Amino acid sequence: MTRNDPVKHFFIWPALLIVLVISIFPLIYSLTTSFMSLRLVPPIPARFVGFGNYTELLQNPRFWNVAWTTTIIAFIAVTLQYVIGFSVALALNRRVPGEGLFRVSFLVPMLVAPVAVALVARQILNPTMGPLNELMTAFGFPNLPFLTQTRWAIGAIISVEVWQWTPFVILMLLAGLQTLPDDVYEAAALENASPWQQFWGITFPMMLPISVAVVFIRLIESYKIIDTVFVMTGGGPGISTETLTLFAYQEGFKKFNLGYTSALSFLFLIVITVIGLVYLAILKPYLEKHK
Amino acid sequence: MSVRNLKGSGRWWALAGCLLWLAFTFFPLYWVAITSFKSPLGVVGGPTYIPFVDFDPTLTAWSELLSGARGQFYNTFIASTIVGLSASVLATFIGSMAAYALVRFTFEVKLLSGVIFVVVAFGGYLLGRHVLGYGQAMSLIWAFVAALALAIGSSRIKLPGPLLGNDDIVFWFVSQRMFPPIVAAFALFLMYTEMGKMGFKLVDTYTGLTFAYIAFSLPIVIWLMRDFFAALPVEVEEAAMVDNVPSWRIFFGIVLPMSKPGLIATFMITLAFVWNEFLFALFLTSSKWQTLPILVAGQNSQRGDEWWSISAAALVAIIPMVVMAGILSRFMRSGLLLGAIK
Repeated sequence: MTRNDPVKHFFIWPALLIVLVISIFPLIYSLTTSFMSLRLVPPIPARFVGFGNYTELLQNPRFWNVAWTTTIIAFIAVTLQYVIGFSVALALNRRVPGEGLFRVSFLVPMLVAPVAVALVARQILNPTMGPLNELMTAFGFPNLPFLTQTRWAIGAIISVEVWQWTPFVILMLLAGLQTLPDDVYEAAALENASPWQQFWGITFPMMLPISVAVVFIRLIESYKIIDTVFVMTGGGPGISTETLTLFAYQEGFKKFNLGYTSALSFLFLIVITVIGLVYLAILKPYLEKHK
Repeated sequence: MSVRNLKGSGRWWALAGCLLWLAFTFFPLYWVAITSFKSPLGVVGGPTYIPFVDFDPTLTAWSELLSGARGQFYNTFIASTIVGLSASVLATFIGSMAAYALVRFTFEVKLLSGVIFVVVAFGGYLLGRHVLGYGQAMSLIWAFVAALALAIGSSRIKLPGPLLGNDDIVFWFVSQRMFPPIVAAFALFLMYTEMGKMGFKLVDTYTGLTFAYIAFSLPIVIWLMRDFFAALPVEVEEAAMVDNVPSWRIFFGIVLPMSKPGLIATFMITLAFVWNEFLFALFLTSSKWQTLPILVAGQNSQRGDEWWSISAAALVAIIPMVVMAGILSRFMRSGLLLGAIK
């Protein structure tokens, strides 16, 4: 039960004010400048251009390229994170030997700075000094240019994302698995349901709401990816691994093209919102079916 | 024998899978640890794996790093620690208060008041900036104050339209995380620069960076702590209320001590977020309050292939958080983190 007491204002206002101050300015500023032509270097007075920045962006092949790269990285990485994370969480939930140790150690990547992870990845993937290429050569594969060829570079970024964020999926799904009731499984065991049937008939449907939330969070966070790409490839070769945030950074902080950057950010926000809404709309019937 | 335990060969397959994942997880960490003890020759001459067998470990990289030959290492470490600790303590504290209020008290905000706030803030800013000719910061401050005053005033009088409840407020807080951070970081940089012109230096200062981190951690803190408070038994608080204990004493004297595990876990998650954060630090600091991720990223461009010193710097950023992971895992069983996702 909630109650009413004037002291509640004292509790909520500090947080409310801080978030309001910090969030309203970026919103107002970027929305208004997105309709203007504004450059800081060289300084050009602001000029109202309406949807000019937006149409220019939508006609720029680089924008579509960047959006496509980000989408590929986000979707493949989140899919892998979910599949691996679910399998590991299942194993931990079923008391695999040494489960206590695994639990602690599987958490670690999540807490490591993405910048540091990317630097370590660069070392491991280095063509001459890195261990991975030596291993590949030992097995008779050619020495691969992991970070300088588009496909391999995207693959490398995805692996780093999977390494870093699968622990989050494990953590969340494991917490969810631990709340599933035992009696359903006991009944299924009496009916001689195979583990495969038990998983698709009981575990997966019951875990669906949590899965939806976890995948949603990861998807949105993955779209914001910048630090790993920044360090690992810098967007290269060329612009082939550039992501949305990195593109915005280049335009904003390197070229100081503010109107353009703001328009880009709002397109970015729209892309994320649309993907989020479509995702929830597709899954809604399944969620309601299993309620 | 519980149905939950694995039996027969499945058990060993699961173990094999987990060990494989463990190797994948720990190999990079092992690699960075041994590389930091390699000599320059040991790195360039191709990969080596086992200290004392494959290569002779040296302390060159570490002594260089700790003696300050590789940039302002101590300064950065101290700045990171101060900003990280204070931002997460303050965010946990302020966020817990708000989360508690959102769990135990009734809030009603008229949708129309919210609309008034946004419209007046936008309109006032545009008016001040482009019609009256004030500077950016001035027009923003006035627009903000006017919008807030009008919104609060309008909530006192009777207005038509739907009411927003506690859940909507929580959703508003959490939705702040959806905003692309690059927009926020860049706009914040400009706002701080404008404030600097007015005499309040915020770029590359403790206040500016910490304030930004508090604001961006609050949504996570509120989200986590709300579920934690909701799970606390309300009877204790009701008993205290019967005895006429004021609400603020209930919160500080009873609720906070009861939720220690949740507070610690939330604090640690926030600390990890702030400690590893890259984008805001990149925009809002330049030298004095630079944080570790910026220093580590900078090693890359400055030092090229000097892996030994890069590894040592990366380890300094990694180790404190790995130690924390050990502590954090003790709270994993409490079910706290499950509550967070419902």
